[in-house]
Parts: sequence; C-alpha cells; structure tokens
Amino acid sequence: MSYPKILTANWGIEGSHLLSVVRARGAYSRLPKAFAMTPAALTQVVKDSGLRGRGGAGFPTGMKWTFVPPAEKRGGKPVYLLCNADESEPGTFKDRYIMWQDPHQLIEGMILSGYALGVRTAYIYLRGEFKFVQKRLDEAIAEAYAAGLLGKNIQGSGFDFDLYTHLGAGAYICGEETALISSLEGDKGQPKLKPPFPAVEGAWHAPTIVNNVETLAVVPWILENGADAYKAIGTGKSLGTKLISVSGHVKRPGVYEIALGYPFKDFLEKECGGMLRGKGFETLKAVIPGGSSVPVMTKDEVLRSSFDYEMLSTPMDKGGPGTYLGSGGFIVMDDSTDMVDSLTNLLRFYAHESCGQCTPCREGCGWMYQILTRVCEGDATQEDLATLKDLADNIHSKTICFFGASAAMPVQSFLLKFKDEFLAKIGALSAKGAA
Amino acid sequence: MPKVKINDTEIEVPNGTNMIEAARLAGIEIPHYCYHPHLSVAGNCRMCLVDIVGGRGPDIACNMQARDGLAIRTDTPAVKKMRASVQEFLLVNHPLDCPICDQSGECRLQDYYMEHGQYESRLNDAKVSKEKRQDIGELIVLDAERCVQCSRCVRFSDEVTGTGELRLMNRGNHTEIGLFPGERLGHHYQGNLADICPVGALTNKEFRFRRRVWYLRETASVCDGCATGCNIDVCHQEGEVFRYNPRRNDAVNKSWMCDPGRLSYQSVMSLKRLLRAHVDKKEVGVDAAVAEVVRRIRNASSVGVVLGTRATNEANWALLTLVRANLPGARIFWVEGNDSTGLPADKILIDGDKNPNSAGVRLLAAHDGKVGDKTALKDAIPELKLLLVLQDDVVHRLGGMSLPPVIYFGTYLNDTSERAAVTLPVAHTVEQDGSYTNRQGRVQRIRRAVNPAGDALPAYQVLEKVGAALGRAPGTAMPAAAFNTMARAVARLKGMDFKSLGEGGLPLAALPPESSNVQAAV
Repeated sequence: MSYPKILTANWGIEGSHLLSVVRARGAYSRLPKAFAMTPAALTQVVKDSGLRGRGGAGFPTGMKWTFVPPAEKRGGKPVYLLCNADESEPGTFKDRYIMWQDPHQLIEGMILSGYALGVRTAYIYLRGEFKFVQKRLDEAIAEAYAAGLLGKNIQGSGFDFDLYTHLGAGAYICGEETALISSLEGDKGQPKLKPPFPAVEGAWHAPTIVNNVETLAVVPWILENGADAYKAIGTGKSLGTKLISVSGHVKRPGVYEIALGYPFKDFLEKECGGMLRGKGFETLKAVIPGGSSVPVMTKDEVLRSSFDYEMLSTPMDKGGPGTYLGSGGFIVMDDSTDMVDSLTNLLRFYAHESCGQCTPCREGCGWMYQILTRVCEGDATQEDLATLKDLADNIHSKTICFFGASAAMPVQSFLLKFKDEFLAKIGALSAKGAA
Repeated sequence: MPKVKINDTEIEVPNGTNMIEAARLAGIEIPHYCYHPHLSVAGNCRMCLVDIVGGRGPDIACNMQARDGLAIRTDTPAVKKMRASVQEFLLVNHPLDCPICDQSGECRLQDYYMEHGQYESRLNDAKVSKEKRQDIGELIVLDAERCVQCSRCVRFSDEVTGTGELRLMNRGNHTEIGLFPGERLGHHYQGNLADICPVGALTNKEFRFRRRVWYLRETASVCDGCATGCNIDVCHQEGEVFRYNPRRNDAVNKSWMCDPGRLSYQSVMSLKRLLRAHVDKKEVGVDAAVAEVVRRIRNASSVGVVLGTRATNEANWALLTLVRANLPGARIFWVEGNDSTGLPADKILIDGDKNPNSAGVRLLAAHDGKVGDKTALKDAIPELKLLLVLQDDVVHRLGGMSLPPVIYFGTYLNDTSERAAVTLPVAHTVEQDGSYTNRQGRVQRIRRAVNPAGDALPAYQVLEKVGAALGRAPGTAMPAAAFNTMARAVARLKGMDFKSLGEGGLPLAALPPESSNVQAAV
C-alpha cells in the first residue's frame, strides 16, 4: 500500500524539532497560501478533505469548525482554539511523538486553523505528565515568535495569533473537551453539561474549538496538497492517514502512520513484525483497537477487520466487531493474557480517574472495580457477574460525558466475548462441565 | 410559548421552561436531587433522566429546554430502570443510618427509594467511609458519608451568597464536599444549606435531634424579623414552635431566608414575652386592664396614639378607626426605628428595617393624612397627658425622653413595657391571623400556628374591646372583617380581600395619579 507519510515525514531526522531544520523541509511554507485565501475558503478545504477528529470520536473536523457562530452573532466575544494534548487514554501515545519529533508541524497547523476560525489566542493543553514535552513546545513557540511566525501581523498578513502551552495537573478526564476547558479556566477538571456545546459557548463562555494534536498537525499538508490529495488516501469515509500506537505482544510495538483502510492482519504482520510468540497468529487472543475505552475484539474479529471507522463500529448483530477506531491505541494481547486481570486493571484506572461529578460513573466505576477485584480473587458468584454487566449498562450513556461509556464498554465487551474466563475465575465453569 | 408533550399530556409552557418545570405544570413529577429552581443547572444526579420520543437516547430533563413539538416520556420501563439504578448508585456508599439521621422523614433518598427504588441490595462490597460530624459553620454540621454530591450547597454559596466556601473535593467515589483548610461558613444564610441539601449531609445544628419531622405540622406564615417579609412555614407540634422553614415565594424570598430570621422562632418561647396584663405593675386580668385603659383615656385631656410597625395591618386599622371614631381630639403618630439592633442590610434578603410592617403603617398614615412622624411626636409630648403605644418599643426609639403615662399593647418586655402604666399582652406573629405589608408593598398573610401564650390576644381583638367600651367598636373582632373593611376604605388595597391574599400575598395597587401629592406609601 503506497501513501505519503504526512505526520511522520520529519520524524527521526536529526534536529527535527528545530525551526531551521524543518523550515528547510517546508515547514510554514503554507502560510502565504493561506493568507491569500479567505478564512471560509480555508475551512472549506479542510471540510472537503474529509478529515475527521483524531482524538477518538472521529467527528468531521471541517464541520465542527462551521459550528462557530458568525462574528455578528458572537456579541464581541473572541473565538478560542484549544489543542487537546492531554493524551491520557491507556494505550495511546501518538500525540507526544508529534510534539516531540515535529512541534512546528503542530504550531503551523494551529496558525492555519486559527486563521480559518478567526482565532486571536490559542492554547495547547498538555497533560501534567508532559512537562518535558511542554519545554520542547515552548522552545519551538519561542523560535516561531522570533521568526515572525507567531504574534502580531504574521508575515504582513494583518493576522495576529498568539499561542500558549498550558499544563494540566494529570487527570485523564481533562482530555474530555469540556473538562479540558474547565481545567484551562482554572476550575477543577470536570466536564460541563452540553448543550451549550463548546463551539457556541466554551472557554470563558466564548466560542471554542477543541481539536486533537494529530488533527491540527495534518492541516498544513492538506492545504499544500489539496483536499483531493488527502481524500485519495483511505477508504469510504475513513480518509487520510492515522497514527496507530501499538503496545502489547507484538515484536515491534511503537507508533506507525498507516493509510486508513489498512487491514489489521497486514498491519500486525508487516508493521508490527508479527506476534511476540508463536507462528502467525496462533497466539493472538484479543486486540483493543482504539485505546482502552473501546470494546475489545476477539482474534476472529481482528483478523477480518481494518482501520476503518465505519467497519469497526458496525454492531455485532450486523456482523461487525462492534467497536471503535478511537484514538488508535492498539493493544495486542496474546494467549498468555488473563482477560479478567486485564479488565480489572482497566477498571482500577477508570475508578481512579472518574471525576466524581455525576452519580452513575462516580459510584459505578468504583463498584465495578470492587466486584472485579473479588472475581480475580475467586470470591464472587454468577450473580456478581450479572450485577457487573447490569451496572455497566446502567452507566453507559446515562452520564454527563463519555467517560461513563468509556468505563462501561470494556466491561460489557470483555464479559460478552470472554465470558468463560470470568466463569472459570469464580469456579463456575467446571461446575457447568463446559470447557 | 412552546407546546410540549409529557407522557400523554400536551401543555403549553412559557419560553425558557425546562422539562422538570414543564412536567410539574402538567402535574407530573420528575424526581431530582441536584436541580433547584433557584440555582444554576448542574445535571449531575441523573435522577431526572427521561426518554425523548424519537430521540437517540435518554437525557436529563433539568437541562432540556421546552421547545415546540418536544415529547418526553417519564413512564417507560427504561426510565423506571434508570431511576432505580441512580437510586442504587446513590445508596452504594451511603451509610443507611436513617435511624440516627435527622433528615429522616424529609429525605429524598428515602422518599425516592419508596417510589423508585429496587428494594433488593446487590452490594457485597465495602462502603467508602468519610468523615462524619464535621462542624463547618455556626449553624451547620456536615456528614460527608450521607452526601450525594449534588452540589446544591456549592452552587448556593457561589451564586446566592457569593461567598464560595464550599467545593467538591477529590474524585470518583471519594468525592466529597468540603471547605478549604481552616475555613468556616462565613455568611448569614447557612440554614438554607440544610434546607436545600436533599439528604442528611448538611443538617441544622440548632434543630437537629429536637423533633422527628413527621410529628411537625406546618402553618404558612411570614417572618417578622425585618421588612423583607420572607415567606415561611411555621413548624410546630402540640403548641410548641420548633423551627421556621423558608416557603417558596419567587416575588419575595425565592426559597431562602436569613439565619437570624430562621432563629427568630425562639422569640415565641422567649422569657421576655409579655404574658399578662398589668396596671401599675400589678398583674390583672385583660378585662380589668381594658377597663383601666378606658378610664384613663376618658380622664386624659390630651391623648396621643402611636401606630405599630411591628403590629399587623388589622391592629393598626383597629387603632386608627378606634381613635377617629371615639377620640376626636387625639393625635396619631408613628415612630420609625428599630427596637433592637440586628444585622445591617445586605443585597440578598436582610433589611435594615427590623419591623415587619413599616410599609403597612406608612400606607395607613398616608390614607389618614394626619398621622405625625417621630419629630411631630417629640414636639407634641409636652402637651400629651396619655400615650397609647401599639407594640413598638417607642421609649427605646425615642431615646429615653420623659413621657406622659403610657398604655402599652405589646408582645415583649422592653423599655416601653417597663415604663407603662398599663400593659396588655399581644399575641406573637405565629399566634394570630392577620397581614403585614413588606418593603416591596406586598400584603402577606400571617396565620395562627399555635395558641397565644399567657393572656395574650391579637391586638385588634383587645382594641375591639377598648373601642366597644368607649362607645364605638372598630369592628375588628375578626381579622378578615378588619382587613376587608380596611381594603374597602384604602385606595391602594382596592380589590383585595383577606382570602384573596392567599399563600403568596398581593402587591399594593399603584398610586392613583391625583394623589401623588400624598406621601408615597412605600
């Protein structure tokens, strides 16, 4: 499969984080082209490209941008652009590489996106653990200011654009866009009720667009090569390239840029070097394809799936794997994996990270973790498993933000797809005589 | 006005109505913990999840604005399951210490459990324990284990008092409300925190453990602590008053009241109550005292009368009518001021005028046209041979001037009762029917919750006896008759009658243009 490397083009080059190095390779060369266009025309290019949010939800980026009310309906309020660099989803570690390897790609993407949206001030919100990344970004931003690429009247265009980094305090929930806004505003990182949606009323009650690092970093390439060139990559509604962060039982875990539509099987064999142990896929047990929150896939499902938003989200009753591409955090598990332990470990994370704002998630995540702990210890009954399933159902889609569903979906899918392992843990399998 | 449908009821509701309120208007209750009509929407309890007909999934009614064609259902199996589930989640880490919890009987966890609970515990795990009995303010004790994290108290301190002491701390099922280290609640509206707390997390130190709430009866009345006239429920049992609770009136006090007003129920049982009639300090029966009043009035060559800013409209009307009908030479005054010091006025509810009926007195003064003020009274004192005082502590308000003999109709022992030649005990606000007019010019009913203590009577009834003995009774034996006669006579009460005041009161009619030269009533 042949496709251009969009996000990873400069990775691994000596000094790829330095302006002098990347500028020689085309960084910031799209600014004059953008400034010659109207902001609306630039938005249209992004819309036409079919680019979808790379943070996990896969919402069309250009469409999101059009939700910002026109200037005459904003009551004099500014528009903010926030880059979501809170990358905290277990199994996901792609954005840090973009910012570490090629920070100017993100900065240029933000200038272009800011121009399209009429933004004067933008922020990159980083998770608290990314202090080292913040340092690198701050250095890159300083270089860009010194070169007249940020600040007042950029390249004589009349466009003013300031960019700041902001470090969170290390909470998973702050990757949820409204919690990110709360945290940026100085409040506790807790999601806000929707409506109003951030595009209408976000940071400091002003229209706000929150985009993922990877999403913004793609914009320069799209502008340079055109929407059609981007659309030419991928399949169906899953267009362009995507970074996949692979962890688990493969020979070569790491971050890969793939063209959407790429089959998992080929990806595992060719990019990841195959399974860590055994021949072919004989040891493959399961994959969580899009970060810890999405439903787990069985071996059979993995081998017939590809990196395709629509294909992956096809429900099981319609023959699909019933999961999501999510953030592209691709967790591979072989047959040495204890699925009950794995799920318990995930729930320990969700119980700890639930912000505690709304009832089902606050109480339910902790309770599910408690039950799972007992299942691991063999101190549980089939009634407990039924309760666990019911609690997950009672949390999913009943909460303020998507966190509840994120904690519920692993429970629902693990219980559904690996039920025997749970029964075996509590000694209920042998009693039934099934193996 | 959007038209919405709740279950099978179609109803048109005002713009901006949320679906909890829309359902209420349609007679359908949507259970909720965190939603409060006078606080911002938080949407965190999830108890008000409803099904949207034709919608993609459940959503919360509190954050759902009524819009034309919106149809929701609150009676589907899915909604019932969601409610049972939220109840279950809320109880997972709740201590279930109802037998020793003072909220029992007015607890939403209990009420909703009966209606929406699943009745069968599935919990086989340990509960999260938190700190109980935290003393966080003058009036409030916090039990963090009972809290359902609805954030009503947090929003109250942010949005109503603006003091922002409370915050939700920590995360997940360790979330609890609390204050910053070393801080305490620093406002005079603490009692409301216990009121709006839907569970037993915040309780009122002053009330707790004194009476199980299901024994209490409630009588709708008005606080007499200042000119604001917050609407209250007087909670009482067997003749004893245990607390005042604010009663919702969006035109006056929304759902709130101040702490001094709340605690002013203690004045009912105060040792400083005037409980018997006295003549020259000797205890006598009321009839004997009335006879003495009549004798002194007849013998006095010059009588002064002071209307009462602490007395009901009916009592002031009785006094005014009695004087104009029987004592053509008498002069009438009213004395602005407070009987005791209280909290200074704020921008929330507390007024600097600590009398419940100054506006009512001003209205009658304007109506009569010949009522003198404090200065006029001071000037007249040397000529007066007898001074009749209705409830206000006029001696205190005049700063200890030397006065002619005083006849005092009063509720409390004070400087005036101390100096009075004759005293007659007047019923407390909670011991009589009548009305006060608040600072906005809203005429509001007070209602008899308990029997008057000692020999006390409503002042209008005592004055009826005095008037009858003088020859012409003012016709104020019954408060409704007193009010209705007054309403027919006083222009700005036009169209009102005692019954029409209802639970929420009525505003005074606008001043007719031709009488604009008369002192404004409010």
